[in-house]
Amino acid sequence: MNKKYDAIIIGAGVIGCPIAYELSKMGYKTLNVDKLADAGEGSTAGSCAIVRAHYSTADGVAMAYEGFKYWLDWKKYLDNVEDEKGLARYMNTGSILIKSQGHDWKKVQKNYDEVGVQYEEWDNDKIIEMVPPADLHEFWPVMRPEDPKFFDEPTKELEGAIFCPEGGYVNDPALSAHNIMRAAEAKGAEFIFNAEVVDVRSENGKTAGITLKDGTQIDAGIVVNVGGPHSFMVNKMAEGVWEGCNIKTKALRHEVMYCPSPEGYDYLNDGYHMSDGDIGCYVRPEVGNTFLIGSEDPDCDPQEWVDPDDFYAGKGGHGKDNVLTDEQWKAQCYRLGQRIPTLQVPNQPKGVVDLYDCSDDWIPVYDKSDLPGFYMAIGTSGNQYKNAPVVGRMMAELIDACEKGLDHDKEPLQYKFQYTDRSTDVGFFSRKREINYNSSFSVNG
Amino acid sequence: MMKNIGIIIELDKGRIKETNFGMITLARAKDTELFAVVVDADAEIVKEELESFGITKIVEVSLAEDQQKNPVVRAKAIINVIKEYNICAVFGLSTAMGKDLLPRIAALLKASLVMDCYAVDIKQNLVKTSQYSGKTSATIKAAGDVLIFGVRPNAIEPVKASSLAEILKFDGTSLISKDLKVIKTGDTDTSENISLVEADVIIAGGRGMKNGENFTILSKCAKKLNGAVGASRVAVDAGWVPYSMQVGQTGEKVSPLVYIACGISGSVQHFAGMKTSGMVIAINKDENAAIMSNCDYYVKADALEIIPELIKHLGND
Amino acid sequence: MQIYVCVKHVPDSAANITIVEKNHIDENLTFLLNPYDEHAVTEAVRIKDSLPDAEIIVVCLGKDDAQKTLRSALAMGADRGVLIESNKNHDSIETAQALKTVIEQDGNPGLIFTGRESIDAEGMQTMFRIGALLDFPVATNVVKLDIEAGRAVVDSALSGGIANTYEMSLPCVIGAGRGLNTPRYPTFPDVVKSKKKSIKKIVFSDLKIESLAAGMNIVELEPLLQEREPKEIKGDAGEVAKKIVRILKEEAKVI
Repeated sequence: MNKKYDAIIIGAGVIGCPIAYELSKMGYKTLNVDKLADAGEGSTAGSCAIVRAHYSTADGVAMAYEGFKYWLDWKKYLDNVEDEKGLARYMNTGSILIKSQGHDWKKVQKNYDEVGVQYEEWDNDKIIEMVPPADLHEFWPVMRPEDPKFFDEPTKELEGAIFCPEGGYVNDPALSAHNIMRAAEAKGAEFIFNAEVVDVRSENGKTAGITLKDGTQIDAGIVVNVGGPHSFMVNKMAEGVWEGCNIKTKALRHEVMYCPSPEGYDYLNDGYHMSDGDIGCYVRPEVGNTFLIGSEDPDCDPQEWVDPDDFYAGKGGHGKDNVLTDEQWKAQCYRLGQRIPTLQVPNQPKGVVDLYDCSDDWIPVYDKSDLPGFYMAIGTSGNQYKNAPVVGRMMAELIDACEKGLDHDKEPLQYKFQYTDRSTDVGFFSRKREINYNSSFSVNG
Repeated sequence: MMKNIGIIIELDKGRIKETNFGMITLARAKDTELFAVVVDADAEIVKEELESFGITKIVEVSLAEDQQKNPVVRAKAIINVIKEYNICAVFGLSTAMGKDLLPRIAALLKASLVMDCYAVDIKQNLVKTSQYSGKTSATIKAAGDVLIFGVRPNAIEPVKASSLAEILKFDGTSLISKDLKVIKTGDTDTSENISLVEADVIIAGGRGMKNGENFTILSKCAKKLNGAVGASRVAVDAGWVPYSMQVGQTGEKVSPLVYIACGISGSVQHFAGMKTSGMVIAINKDENAAIMSNCDYYVKADALEIIPELIKHLGND
Repeated sequence: MQIYVCVKHVPDSAANITIVEKNHIDENLTFLLNPYDEHAVTEAVRIKDSLPDAEIIVVCLGKDDAQKTLRSALAMGADRGVLIESNKNHDSIETAQALKTVIEQDGNPGLIFTGRESIDAEGMQTMFRIGALLDFPVATNVVKLDIEAGRAVVDSALSGGIANTYEMSLPCVIGAGRGLNTPRYPTFPDVVKSKKKSIKKIVFSDLKIESLAAGMNIVELEPLLQEREPKEIKGDAGEVAKKIVRILKEEAKVI
């Protein structure tokens, strides 16, 4: 006899765990299945775990702001469940958004006003006061060091920044997923690891369960794809699901760098999260007084779509495998070096290479599918970490409503936020949508 | 034709270090005569031991008293021995001393040299050593009139072979070095720590160490093992140990011969920094920890209970 | 004084090494300045700080791509570079001959630096060969260097933090070790400045290096990493400790 659950969640990362948590709270008997050894060990571990509110749409801002409230009171969210590994810590550094041609900051400011996000406007003097090593010349457009113009003397100055005191990062993203797993287990959720799903079974046009690589079959009328970079492969396993999506997902290789802070600058304790579209970078402090340097994927940078299994196995060669490249190391560090001219850049790249699960328009797909009982929370593309607890709740409500007969494709669910006095149209994240050209088509969301 | 093989014997306080015997075993082949070269030691004292491993000639080299520790003078003396006895292959240990001696000999003779080798085929002049931070094994064809091999300590199992040895004296007391003088030779006692990236043994702690003080246990153990202490990101993040000790994707990348992971779960990021280690021994209470299925040996136990015992047992040596 | 720093363009230690054609690696990966050479460059710059007339010349034998490594050294403070261009891999005998020839042609060395070894070939001998060819004294794994009264006093590290102290006449050859200094890495303005520094190219075959009978040729490369098969060590703490000691001694051979 196959084991049977109400819902099987494929993936135990920072999105898969909260879905299990919320479904369990609603009384569903859930099982998370993950091919890795523990919760959050996949692309969640490679996340920069930044918590910031600036998005190009009001809904995006609202959702991120809602997520922030969860991180702020992490213990409460976990219902005071303890984790033998300790709790992830949310570090509220405050978040600087440089006013630049790289970001539509006026739109962000309007969205902040609409949602009610607190912020301050800083002029350049104020930025220097708060970030003493900064050089506030304008370096736009973002270039690569291979381009001789990259080294041209800048002439213009920036026009200040928008500072949001509510923002920061989570110090250990893998641990945060583990915390949520423990909280979910306290509500009855189950997890199995080192278990790779090879098939999503259906019977009579309805979801029936999954099959593992070792042949084990587990039954459930609900299966949720939270496979991260493997999401497109999971969708292809379920009958008609991949074909039924107008928006597809793919795995995008992405490098994040760690560069030591300049001598005499305690970035770890005195620094801010900063999104700097002028140089196409975002930064936050990291252990060892280093700058974590993320890339906002400027057009001049190469995009490498890869097979996730080959990538994690170290195959594919330079620029395609799971090793940092010197070219990208220099690109990201020198760009930050323009802004922080005292930053010393080592020769050996140091950082994280991982995969984004990226949708065609960089907006996630939180939706049901054409196969009844099969759902997906995919295409989370490097900017949904902060939203994970919100997505968990929203997906659970979506699943519950659909199972109770809602035709979400016709009458999309309106999800009411828990903290922010707003709702959001879950139909915005539909698999059936046309590509949303209002998207930033980048990690900025 | 008989080939004459020279073996540079490394002594410690007048006694032969154990690891020489593996090297002699490696050098032994058909139709060869083994010349053991001992510098500034009484050949009579070491004769019997060398005979039990097949040495047939012992060259006792004497140097001027103030030149004995000079690597240049030692190199010159050995070169003279090589020439005098028509030696065509020289074996020495790839120890700290060997690293300062063998390349000097090779450079002055314009002879080929492979350091840190763990297999030598003296008939075909093929040598094996590791390259690319322990990621590949290279087979090297050595050519020339004299071939020099720096043998990785303890790489070869010693096998006895009895023989009778003749003692030959070589007077090197007139040899001097004008341009390099020894001011001071290293004291055996030092408090300086071995660098993480260069250590042969690393004992690393993670979440299971519980606090910073417990890392002193690892330091004690590392000292006994002549190794270094590493840490996972969690231990650094918690402020238990400095960032310079972090092993992993965002810390140091290490390739020791042995990596002992104490209370480390073994995340992908941690593996990125130590996966090229020779042997991995994991000690963890959690049998489901990722590292337990990606190591050579695992112990299901609290490292804080095992390591103090390990220190005790290492102390008995 | 002219200070020559011999540097090598090596694969990043983090790179996945793939073997091709039996005895080569797939070079489509990240190459960088050999980490030990960073200490050599940094030390040269430190010496120049107190000897402003000194000139630091970095020399590299490698493929055209090795210019990147020379650029890294220039950004760290070297004054100019020389690339000895060759598409072949050379053993340390040929490498030392090429470096010696180029250094002699180029100027008048007061000091020559190398790293104590390269992290790819791990040969540990090029500095000695350069020294022998030039008849200069050599010390390797140098963790402390003082230039005083025309002499160099160095600490040459042995294992376990133990060092010998040597005094050498100048010019001499120094194989830089890890403990010598903390590498001084370039800032963006340093990189901008170094763009104007020159790199001279010399073709290896033009050097007419004397061919010797001696040589070390790699005939085969094999991957060393294998799948690990975990074995459990059972028993109480004392038994486990005993077993670990035995494994360290007999199998790993580290004690």
